[in-house]
Amino acid sequence: MTTLPPGLHLVTIDTQDTVRIEITGDLDYQTVDLLLDEVTSQLDARPGLKDLHLHFAEIGIIDSMGLSVLLMIHRRTAAAGTRLHLDDRPPNLNRLLDITGTLEYLTAAPPTGAATSQQHTEQAPPTAGTAQAARPTGPDSTT
Amino acid sequence: MPGFPWSRAPYPVLVADAGGLVVQRNDAAQALLPAARPGARLADVVPAWLATAHRSMRLPAPRATRESDVPLAGLIAERRYEAHPSVADDGTVAWWLVDDTDHQLVREALRMERERTSFLAKASSILLSSLNLGRCMDVTAQMAAENLADAALAIAPARGRRLPVVTCLRGGTPVTSQESVDPDDVPGLGEALRGFPPVPSRWLDPASAPAWMIPEGFGPVGAIVITPLPGHGVAAGALVLLRKEGSAAFTEEEEVFARLFAARSGAAMSAARLYAEQTEITEVLMRELLPPALHQISGVDFAGSYRPSADHERVGGDFYDVHPAAVEGEPSLVTLGDVCGKGLEAAVLTGKIRNTLHALLPLADDHQRMLSLLNTALLTSHHTRFATLVLASAVRQGSEVQVRLTSAGHPLPLIVRADGTVDVADTRGNLVGVLPDVHARTATVTLAPGESCVLFTDGITEAKGGPLGDSQFGEERLKRALAGCAGMPAEAIVEHVQMLASQWLGGRRHDDMAVVAISAPRTHHLSAVDGHTRGRYTA
Repeated sequence: MTTLPPGLHLVTIDTQDTVRIEITGDLDYQTVDLLLDEVTSQLDARPGLKDLHLHFAEIGIIDSMGLSVLLMIHRRTAAAGTRLHLDDRPPNLNRLLDITGTLEYLTAAPPTGAATSQQHTEQAPPTAGTAQAARPTGPDSTT
Repeated sequence: MPGFPWSRAPYPVLVADAGGLVVQRNDAAQALLPAARPGARLADVVPAWLATAHRSMRLPAPRATRESDVPLAGLIAERRYEAHPSVADDGTVAWWLVDDTDHQLVREALRMERERTSFLAKASSILLSSLNLGRCMDVTAQMAAENLADAALAIAPARGRRLPVVTCLRGGTPVTSQESVDPDDVPGLGEALRGFPPVPSRWLDPASAPAWMIPEGFGPVGAIVITPLPGHGVAAGALVLLRKEGSAAFTEEEEVFARLFAARSGAAMSAARLYAEQTEITEVLMRELLPPALHQISGVDFAGSYRPSADHERVGGDFYDVHPAAVEGEPSLVTLGDVCGKGLEAAVLTGKIRNTLHALLPLADDHQRMLSLLNTALLTSHHTRFATLVLASAVRQGSEVQVRLTSAGHPLPLIVRADGTVDVADTRGNLVGVLPDVHARTATVTLAPGESCVLFTDGITEAKGGPLGDSQFGEERLKRALAGCAGMPAEAIVEHVQMLASQWLGGRRHDDMAVVAISAPRTHHLSAVDGHTRGRYTA
């Protein structure tokens, strides 16, 4: 636990083509918007950003809303062509990513522009038909 | 009158001696009290209150002292006067009469205004302390009956064909009724209940008032006024004020005041109505989400327990279902899951998942395919709300039960063996609803008689409590607890786990907690198939 009051505290350190955000405190349904807003404004301010590092050494509790916001951040970075790094993960975060089968997905290299748009068409309002068509083209496999 | 210094004074001055005879008066007094000539007996020519005041002066006295309870003010010729005595050494008293009629009127108006302000403040605080529509209507009718009229009716807009009405007589208690009437039959009521366009209060001819509007035992009606209760953009209802025949009619001022009161109670009633509607929506959704009662199906025991979060905003995340096989001898499908997020949005997503899974039942033999289709059905670009779940297909084979288990990003099912060993099911998979594509690995487990497979949500393992109140119940503690459950029937395991988690919480806040156990019955099974009844074991 940190000595900070409950809540989320962010420190953003940016260099030429890298942004690093240090996260201190709980990432839960009360605080997730803070992180998403910070990431969104960094991505908006720096088109062509190569790497976004989220630094988790000081994180407290992370719940399912916390994971949901990481998935949303990944969606935004992938669209911007930025690679997402989840650094200094404590055991509780690793466990969450492991059980939910999201570690590989969140930390994979960003797709190229073409792949990005293809990914988006796959996420377009689906029908059973497109779902079956889309499935074999999936890029990764966890099995 | 020579020598009388006050003959031209603007105030009436009347001088009387100790014997009660008028001695002198000035011009103003002559105009006010023409009969009070010098030499007349005071008691015969002035109002009684002034004569009494004169007698009460203690004589002789150098200074005026008097019996304190005798008023020094009263009516003369329909105006109100204050009498100020000045006592001479010989006992004669000069009474100065000061007209304070206007002063009195202003004071009265101020008192009324203060009373009304405090009444409105009281009305606001009572009304706003309740979010119950019925209570708001009761308070409105009762306060109006006590302060504005002889009786009052608070009427809410019709629900269907019935008009909710609360009637209150002055000094009585509010009575609720439902009137099967058309508000448009009463002039002004229909408009007031529609609320738009805003209508002023409306006088109603007492003769044309319908019978339901007149409270029982009220007697002849003198005046009726209908005032709309304005809500937040919609009409909250109408207030009907009734006065008895013979009591004062409503003044314009009173009507304005009634509208001030109506504005407050209207706001409270519409807030209460909105709250009631919101609660109803949540309740309807939650009712839909309530897990089914489980029982034995085709020789496999199922038990489930769901403890929703006491926090309204945290409820709605967990679900479980058991779908019996369409064909006897095929596996039944158990689903247990947890939707990310809480409250109404989570409840909606939960409903969507349960419905989709139900529709996919024909594919239940292929968990991977089922999850893949579910994932695609849930994908949306609007949010990254996800769900984690476990699919379990259980079928009786001889005395054993075979279970195929697939976790989609969910805490892994635990297997309680007959010897007290607790295994973790070897299954893995991605959560559903966010990733473009999901994969999962299915584990197959065989349960010998008395063995169980336990599915649970993280509300159990993440229950925060313990001796210091800050540690999670955790999977290790859950495994140890389950080791002690070897051989227990499914229902007992589920109850035991919920009990331990509750003890661990010790009354603290918690998320939804769901547990499902699938067991191979330990003892001989009496009814061959589908035994729904209790007491299905031999002793």
